[in-house]
Amino acid sequence: MNRRVLITGIGLISSLGDSSAQLHSALCAARSGIGPIQSFSAEGLNCHLAAEIKSFQAEKYLGRINLRPLDRTSRLAAGAARLALDDSGWSSEMVKREQVGLVLGTMFGSLHTISEFDRRILEAGPVYVSPMDFANTVINAAAGQAAITHKLRGVNSTISTGPTSGLQAIAYATDLVRSGRAKAVLAGGAEELCFQSFYNFDRAGLLCARNPPHRATPFDATRNGFVLGEGAALVMLEAEASARQRGARVLAEIRGHASGYDSSCENEESDSIKVIARTMELALSDAGATTSEIDCISTSANGSVVQDRREAQAVAKVFDARAQNIPVTAIKAMLGETLGASGALQLASMIETMRDGVLPGVAGLEKLGPDFPLPRTTSGNQRIDVRVGLVNSIGFDGQCCSLVITSHEKPI
Amino acid sequence: MERRVVVTGIGMVTSIGTGREEFWNNLLLGRSGIGPVESFETSDYSVHKGAEVRQFEPERYALNLDVARLGRASQFAIAAARLALLDGNVQINCVDPHRAGVSMGTTSGEPREVERFDDHYFAETLDQVGPEFIGRYPCNLIAANVAREFGFEGISLVIPTACAAGNYAIAHAFDTLRWGRADLMLAGGSDSFSRITYAGFSRLGAVAPEKCQPFDRNRKGMIPGEGAGVLLLEPFEQARERGARIYAEVAGYGLCCDGHHMTAGDPEGGGAARAMAEALKDSHTRPEEVSYISAHGTGTLTNDLLETIAVKRVFQESAYVIPISSIKSMLGHTMGAASAIEAGTCALALFHDRIPPTVNLFEPDPDCDLDYVPNHAREHRVQVAMNNAYAFGGNNASLIMKKCEGHE
Repeated sequence: MNRRVLITGIGLISSLGDSSAQLHSALCAARSGIGPIQSFSAEGLNCHLAAEIKSFQAEKYLGRINLRPLDRTSRLAAGAARLALDDSGWSSEMVKREQVGLVLGTMFGSLHTISEFDRRILEAGPVYVSPMDFANTVINAAAGQAAITHKLRGVNSTISTGPTSGLQAIAYATDLVRSGRAKAVLAGGAEELCFQSFYNFDRAGLLCARNPPHRATPFDATRNGFVLGEGAALVMLEAEASARQRGARVLAEIRGHASGYDSSCENEESDSIKVIARTMELALSDAGATTSEIDCISTSANGSVVQDRREAQAVAKVFDARAQNIPVTAIKAMLGETLGASGALQLASMIETMRDGVLPGVAGLEKLGPDFPLPRTTSGNQRIDVRVGLVNSIGFDGQCCSLVITSHEKPI
Repeated sequence: MERRVVVTGIGMVTSIGTGREEFWNNLLLGRSGIGPVESFETSDYSVHKGAEVRQFEPERYALNLDVARLGRASQFAIAAARLALLDGNVQINCVDPHRAGVSMGTTSGEPREVERFDDHYFAETLDQVGPEFIGRYPCNLIAANVAREFGFEGISLVIPTACAAGNYAIAHAFDTLRWGRADLMLAGGSDSFSRITYAGFSRLGAVAPEKCQPFDRNRKGMIPGEGAGVLLLEPFEQARERGARIYAEVAGYGLCCDGHHMTAGDPEGGGAARAMAEALKDSHTRPEEVSYISAHGTGTLTNDLLETIAVKRVFQESAYVIPISSIKSMLGHTMGAASAIEAGTCALALFHDRIPPTVNLFEPDPDCDLDYVPNHAREHRVQVAMNNAYAFGGNNASLIMKKCEGHE
């Protein structure tokens, strides 16, 4: 468990562009991917906003292959994988020679595919369903399809921990590389936006509603729920020795991570805060870092009334006096809650912040709550030098994951 | 520092019995859990048999959570987890919740929840859908609900790698304990019977009309099943200190991907062979040291043939002398639970030196010419057991367990 784990490439597809540079410049320009839903009718729903990837064309990333077997989640995952392989300099020849792994986080896989397959059973009868669609009803379908598309023959795994799935997948893959089980693994998450998941989130009352007016701004005093988004992001993780050997460009290093579960999530708020705080502390300890070394935090906050408050309180608890001046961002303000993709998108954005020293502001943030403990949460961008960054992924369902990265030029 | 990891509790919810003892006794007797499907009407289907868990009483096991708010796979998982803790003689109030976690595999998560939604969607009565779906359907809740039932606050995750998921989940728990990220893990798999899975497999032509007969020349396919298997895993030193009964030691694993086809295996068994070879290497085991192989053995024409080819590739001459059996002949294919139930079977085989049979194996397939322990359980010294699992997406997972040395 002592190999260093380097990030050598990023591939992503989001409502704000299909590269980490595009995403970062959009975030820093306070552009939002959120708008009225176009892919299905929101009639009768409380929320009518989403952060969709408009005019997504998988051909752009995958070329002229037979795309029919790939549903939207698979196309997003396979597209992001192509971009990450290219960005990290893995040619298809190299992929053929070595065993590259893929660990994909996803909350639902494709709920659209599963539900449509089932409706076909109801409509036409079980003997009329399509075998090809059935293959895509398994939750690991996107990881399988992406592996087939790119001939990835190493470890292939799918991780589901709800909205934290993407960051959890990166944590899982980090340990595979750290321990020498794998040399090169694509890791991250993918989540599609579809009617079925949207409808049920809306029914659960978790989304910001039309009435009173939508306020899905993380940490804002007037927030009233989140907006769903979609996307995919994968990073290439490589063992230091093999990355050096092939002369790979290094973007950052993963120094540590930790995960926890808030098994009291529906009861005591103070217990939830403790679990989130402990997860951050364990990640810092795994990284051998102290709170004073952390230069900024990418939070999981998405506009949820309860969850944002818990995360802020937990950060304040862990960072103590430093909470007064630690720069904080919450990019779900612009990307929406992309569930299984969100943690990986946060990581990609953090790497860009390390590169150019700009931490995106929280777009739309007007007024922090009266006793909000993190004053350096701002609507405008913050110019900072980031050597060590903390990424949090906290689910409304009690799942917690934190990850510490360092810019490679300036290790701890 | 790497710690040794051992199995100290086994919890089973299966079509042939609930709890380790009932399960194991019935397994050795060759009892079958296969019968007419009762979960839903099958008159529109081309096949009608399944291996369902009958007379399951979730409220006997979920003592802290309201069973009415839990999906069936979560109910199975909680029951198997409680049985594993009881079997391992663990007092819940003595467990440090921060150091205890849950790692579960599944194929479909909670399919019955989406089916209920789809019934409304199809009937155009969506306005009758309540708010509960998000709190019941997402597959990560299978592990999360186990964590909530027992108050565990360490890592909780679901690895939904289809029909190899149980092995993936146990492998992850093994690493988590080995590297000191937790001191107690509940690891396994759970899946519930569903019309989605049943329709899909029957449409693939993969479901046998009557019985599951792995490696038989007249085999006609798999039989979908359901259930859960959970292993209680902990570091060896801790188990020894608390005087726990140790069934077996988890020694290593191998995972890889064919990168070939979603539902068909690599025709030369290459991926399956790589996973087995990797597991042998990871556990520092020579092929001839393996004394039992729990086969994926679904009973389909191709799986059993490819698996036989792959075993021969890896084990060479020893392939012919290692007993191999498929308990899917009795339990059907319990999807994400299958390799977890089979891992528990390996642990019991190591502990008792008994090997469960492959039932319904009457006429050997000339191309499947290994020792599949036909029809009757066997006494056999089991030092090292290998558990194979293969899945949609071309995922291959092999797990190795050994008799725990340094422990009487």
